[in-house]
Amino acid sequence: MSNRRLALFASTALAAATLSQPATAATPAEVVTTYADIAEAAYGDSLTAAIGLQGAVEALIAAPSEQSLAAARAAWIAARPSYQQTEVYRFGNAIVDDWEGRVNAWPLDEGLIDYVDPAYGQSEENALSALNVIATPHFTLSGAAVDASTITPELIAGTLQEAGGIEANVASGYHAIEFLLWGQDLNGTGPGAGSRPFSDFVQGDGCTGGNCDRRAAYLQAATTLLVADLTEMAGNWAEGGAARAPLEADPAAALAAMLTGMGSLSYGELAGQRMRLGLMLNDPEEEHDCFSDNTHNSQYYDGLGIQNVYLGHYIRADGSTVSGPSLSDLVAQADPAVDTRLKAELDASVAALAALKVAAEAGMAYDQMLAPGNAEGEALIMGGVEALVTQTASIQRAMLVLGLTAASFEGSESLDNPAAVFQ
Amino acid sequence: MLRPLTLGPLMLCLCLATPAMADFPETLRQHILPGYAAFAVATADLAQAAQQDCDAVALRPAFQAAFDAWIGVQHLRFGPVEVDGRGLAIQFWPDPKGAGAKAQRGLLLDDAAALTPDHMAEQSVAARGLSGLERLLYPADPLPADPCALIRATAADLAQTAQTVNDAWLVGYAETLLTAGESGNTTYLTRPEARQALFTQVITALEFLQDQRLGRPLGTFDAPHPERAEARASGRSLVNIRLSLHSLRAMVATLSPDVPKTMAAFDHAIALAEALDDPVLAGVATAQGRLRVEILQQAVTALRDTALAELGPELDVGIGFNAADGD
Repeated sequence: MSNRRLALFASTALAAATLSQPATAATPAEVVTTYADIAEAAYGDSLTAAIGLQGAVEALIAAPSEQSLAAARAAWIAARPSYQQTEVYRFGNAIVDDWEGRVNAWPLDEGLIDYVDPAYGQSEENALSALNVIATPHFTLSGAAVDASTITPELIAGTLQEAGGIEANVASGYHAIEFLLWGQDLNGTGPGAGSRPFSDFVQGDGCTGGNCDRRAAYLQAATTLLVADLTEMAGNWAEGGAARAPLEADPAAALAAMLTGMGSLSYGELAGQRMRLGLMLNDPEEEHDCFSDNTHNSQYYDGLGIQNVYLGHYIRADGSTVSGPSLSDLVAQADPAVDTRLKAELDASVAALAALKVAAEAGMAYDQMLAPGNAEGEALIMGGVEALVTQTASIQRAMLVLGLTAASFEGSESLDNPAAVFQ
Repeated sequence: MLRPLTLGPLMLCLCLATPAMADFPETLRQHILPGYAAFAVATADLAQAAQQDCDAVALRPAFQAAFDAWIGVQHLRFGPVEVDGRGLAIQFWPDPKGAGAKAQRGLLLDDAAALTPDHMAEQSVAARGLSGLERLLYPADPLPADPCALIRATAADLAQTAQTVNDAWLVGYAETLLTAGESGNTTYLTRPEARQALFTQVITALEFLQDQRLGRPLGTFDAPHPERAEARASGRSLVNIRLSLHSLRAMVATLSPDVPKTMAAFDHAIALAEALDDPVLAGVATAQGRLRVEILQQAVTALRDTALAELGPELDVGIGFNAADGD
């Protein structure tokens, strides 16, 4: 993950504008509280679903069967909607961005973790891309011997994750677990997802794929880590938590962070990296949930999360609603036309992503849409891309009418340490 | 009496150095449109040369000229070049997973008759454009099949893409930019939005220089990656950095006449790049060579920060969202 940082500056125009509003108008502080409440609820829902996944994984390991594998896969799928709706919190909140690589890093060189098809090959940029830790209890990493004879959460988080400083070495999080539950999708842009047999988890006779004990240990450890990581993040958004407190202390900066998250996810990340790039490469490995073919859901809920932040509205996993004063209220107070347009554009992007989801559920999986010459698939994906790009311009306008600007910087050495520039 | 024709190029240079006015319409007329026109011409020349003789060595000068022209506009990642991923199809880099070589191998072994321009346009962007041609004209290992048909098809496809982008600017997008803020313009609702779009290109391009062109080969002190330098096979890694800095400086000069600190920071970075004697940045693997590339990278970082602090306020805009916001 890049550590692109967003420094947020708010002008006094915002405070002046809101002071002049009638008493019933939304205030920045209230809007920030809604934002943090939604985060708390969505990370809480993600944690609940991950605990459900943990139970299903334990049942799979205890008694591997078609049914227990299917149940674990279903639990993984069920864990995604809440989490994807939190992705909009990543950009603009450094505490989330720093943590995010542990839970949702993508794409991965899955050969680091387990066996892969011979056609997978060896990445030129990652010496560990075909390490297969599950089959390799002892190996050397950057010249140092690693004892991986027992696979623990500490080994995964402390040694394997981003081993060698290479981002494709994704050892933890949803997609590592996804790979262990589904295996590689070897169908290219044709129908079908990964088809790992349940016997990959059978202990003793009947084990397929080798090292079933270590595979089970890896899956269990990775799931334990996911629960721990989500527990940490849900806590960060609770009352007084490390993510919530600084936003509440500086509501104007928080509003800029909220809009920055919406725009960065809309444009550079979702429309660009996750949707258009895969289409232009016709590469099924460039889909977000490439083992399970669940990409349509991940993208839909990403888009919904963007809308949630703007409207100050989130429907929890149990069907209850978290809502309150919203960015939309503030923008409408400042410039109703900008608000009306952005709301319509958010509706349009959610609808475009829903169309893609419907098509996938009707049988045209996301990787099939990436096939060269699949005009219908291309139109579905580009419909989402164009709607997301369109709304980005309005998100920028919303920043402007609220008197906010976001300036990105990363490791800005010349600002932090001017002398370093001329050393 | 003046001799106008021969003085023409000189007068153009003078105009660029001290524009009477500077704002986004000047950027369009003096930087964007001439840049794309030159790129379309250079790629058409390359395609024509490939038709006449597809000998790799003979084609290299035309390839280098086309790449030079591309670096004149590569930093502009908005408008027609963003449609249908045309920018990616012109140059797909970086390519960390080697997608280009993989996709291209299939095309090399295909029936040569199938390699029509239309067919090329449907292929993975990683196999197309300048990166695709570079692998064919400067192969590291012997190619598995005669590349002649693929060289011709790739060059023709590239020229077609360049022409399409140039046409799209001339017949539509130039007007979209120029009419920013006028009723009926749904892309740029105000003139500051147009300025912000161009300012964002400058800053994003400087970040690309810092993180990709310089940052990828630098890697870390313990793990430098000289093999990751851009256009290494054709020996253009440093050339691209120099040309990019010159192009961006020229663009900024058209945007604002009064950003002395930014111009000084450009001149400092350009001087370092010109003084660097390391065409493919191979020196990143040695202590001394690495230091020189790091100093250049720091100068680019300082330049970016200066432009953010000076050019942004001068144009009265902040940076907008850009394609590099993702991970």
